[in-house]
Amino acid sequence: MEKKEGRLKGHKDVTIMDLPGIYSLSPYTLEEVVARNYLITERPDAILNIVDGTNLERNLYLSTQIMELGIPVVVAVNMSDLLEKSGDKVYLDKLSAKLGCPVVAISALKGTGIEKAAEKAVELARSKTVNAPVHEFAATVEAAISSVEDKLGQDIDEEQKRFFAIKLLEKDDKIIENMKSVPDVSAEIKALEDEFDDDTESIITNERYTYISSIIGECCKKSRKKKLSVSDKIDRVVTNRFAALPIFAVIMFIVYYVSVTTVGTFATDWANDGLFGDGWHLFGIGTSGYNEAVDEYAVRNVFTEELSVVVDDAGKADIVGAEDLQGAIEDGDFGAFEEAYGSYADAFAEAGYDLDAVLPLDGEGEFADAPDPADYGVWVPGIPVLVERLLDAVNCADWLYSLIIDGIVGGVGAVLGFVPQMLVLFIFLAFLESCGYMARVAFVMDRIFRKFGLSGKSFIPMLIGSGCGVPGIMASRTIENDRDRKMTIMTTTFIPCGAKLPIIALIATSLFGGNGFVAVSAYFIGVAAIVISGIMLKKTKMFAGDPAPFVMELPAYHWPTVGNVLRSMWERGWSFIKKAGTIILLSSIVIWAGSHFGNVGGSFGFGLDMELSDSVLGYIGNGIKWIFAPLGFGDATAAIATIMGLVAKEEVVGVFGVLDFVSMTQLAAYSFLIFNLLCAPCFAAIGAIKREMNSAKWTWFAIGYQCIFAYAISLIVYQLGSLFTGNGNAIGTIAAVLVLAFLLYMLFRPYKESNTLKVKVKTKKANA
Amino acid sequence: MMPLSMAKEGEVNTIIKVGGKEDTRRFLENLGFVPGGDVMVISGTGGNLIVNIKDSRVAIGRDMANKIMV
Repeated sequence: MEKKEGRLKGHKDVTIMDLPGIYSLSPYTLEEVVARNYLITERPDAILNIVDGTNLERNLYLSTQIMELGIPVVVAVNMSDLLEKSGDKVYLDKLSAKLGCPVVAISALKGTGIEKAAEKAVELARSKTVNAPVHEFAATVEAAISSVEDKLGQDIDEEQKRFFAIKLLEKDDKIIENMKSVPDVSAEIKALEDEFDDDTESIITNERYTYISSIIGECCKKSRKKKLSVSDKIDRVVTNRFAALPIFAVIMFIVYYVSVTTVGTFATDWANDGLFGDGWHLFGIGTSGYNEAVDEYAVRNVFTEELSVVVDDAGKADIVGAEDLQGAIEDGDFGAFEEAYGSYADAFAEAGYDLDAVLPLDGEGEFADAPDPADYGVWVPGIPVLVERLLDAVNCADWLYSLIIDGIVGGVGAVLGFVPQMLVLFIFLAFLESCGYMARVAFVMDRIFRKFGLSGKSFIPMLIGSGCGVPGIMASRTIENDRDRKMTIMTTTFIPCGAKLPIIALIATSLFGGNGFVAVSAYFIGVAAIVISGIMLKKTKMFAGDPAPFVMELPAYHWPTVGNVLRSMWERGWSFIKKAGTIILLSSIVIWAGSHFGNVGGSFGFGLDMELSDSVLGYIGNGIKWIFAPLGFGDATAAIATIMGLVAKEEVVGVFGVLDFVSMTQLAAYSFLIFNLLCAPCFAAIGAIKREMNSAKWTWFAIGYQCIFAYAISLIVYQLGSLFTGNGNAIGTIAAVLVLAFLLYMLFRPYKESNTLKVKVKTKKANA
Repeated sequence: MMPLSMAKEGEVNTIIKVGGKEDTRRFLENLGFVPGGDVMVISGTGGNLIVNIKDSRVAIGRDMANKIMV
């Protein structure tokens, strides 16, 4: 749970602390405890209490509690713009008199009145005048409070006595942590409970609402009688029992269609090939001219008879990639040809089909006299090109050049390439969030998620996690229940994030002929992993018990401002970029070193063109490859790729070129895919897990669980798959069946919770 | 008297009693579900409800709604 700190503009000596939004100062949710402890122990100079003007009655409940803390308070009535629109009126002066503190009007959405409210709070803090609470409860309650106040020790300030007295009466055990000596107040509690025939906390809650109801009539005027508001009408449709899920499915389809295929692809291509590639044409100026020129060049110089003969021969011999090359030549598409050439040229050469001999290549292996995109339109060179130029200009040493270009720029650039697509997705999600729809989604999904032990609120982290796991895990913060939150953190990264898409795409294209079902099945596996883990974990002792009851305030629907959406998008995106700049930067360097140091002619040394198998990384891969042998991918490259996946999932693709898969069977590749989708996420996400779990033990448990779960599923899929295709071996099959049996046992054994729960209730009663 | 989960959509009801475990009840009370207060069911899916309480919209699960008697 985080508090946010900032400074007030124009007042260098003023620090503002933004506490989490809460309904009361009771100890039931993490937010409330965080906010309360801050207010009691840090004792800020003043409190700016922002209340929602459209439902004052509910919001003043917290205000009456804050007034008891003995800290100067300014109440700011928010949504003054909505109030004006609806014709409702809040009389600030009357409210001020009834609450005993200054009251100002603000509109957070429009940004009006906020500075005035802050100034007022600063002024109040400087004058150090504490406004004593003026609200009064029924005489007997007041008598009990003052009796407890008298019993309080010297360690509690005079102004705070009312707060502590009420908390003691409410039997709030957590407050004791903030007190040195605790007086015995059971007599007062008993007297009150006997008189009202209710428990003390309910009595005081009722007293607060009674007081608020008594003043609300004078302080505000509603223009209309109770009628369905626009938001209510929208909710009738959007959360309707039949239409809710279809509407949600359509909205999600649009969001993902736009952010993954259309705008997203465009943005990712630009980032990968332009910004972190050779460069790009500013606003596309010159792109069409260049494309024409280059295709013309290809038809004249590249796509010769000799080339067609070689490619056709290779095609007849079933050399991988021949079809792609043939297609590109037929279409006269130089871009596609160049890409296929880059991927398959080595395989061709190995099989004895030398493409280079029939291509117009210059001394450096580039196409001779090919048109330069920089000659057309407005050309902006990419970052690697600029860095290269700079390094050339300062005559950089070869090893340093390699470290910077291949290690740092290549590694970090590959990761940052996902940022644009992610930002597009986050814009949509921020919009859905701030217009109020996301809260409804949690409500709608709760029905389904409850069945496997998660709350509807777990859905939002998973949605965000489909972009990037880091902000996804961070979004789990809104789940109050500790168990539910931990479980959400553990399972969120099962959903394929943006960086896992290249792995899926690579395996789908290289071994499954680009079959779209591979991608669909990846998401299906992710969802299934969440469901299975949810049910299994729920049946363990650690997570036993029902998910916390679902309660969530739903904001009124409204159009979000552009600034709010952009800010939210940027905060999520930035959390990812920051990781790329720190953890991924460091890991890129380590990996670069691992692949460039190693066995050079029999002794340890550095080599620029080192074969992977001779490098330190290669030795590590060889050393651990046996671990993955039962999963079907026990070769050094696959082992290295999996380790690299810890740095960033798309690194898997970097290690594992298209060719490396050719030797794999479809089953082994699919098992490899499953393992990499489900095992521990990248270091950045592990860092996020660590921060949100706030415990090393839980972090290790989460990572360990994910790895073991991934291993188990891959083992089952590979070994049983082998058996059905007729290649099974006895030990593997037995192991897989045993694992499967254990999994099924964990899934279908009865819930233990009923016993533990009863015991808990009993002990509680025994104590009371 | 009936649980809130049985109330008709669009009808204004008065809360008579809030039951359940202590924690649950207090949580509901903090949200404004107090005896004597008005509550209106706006919509419901499978027992989960969206209700209007003290002029704000709150979504509550079925198990909670069953504990609020109107």
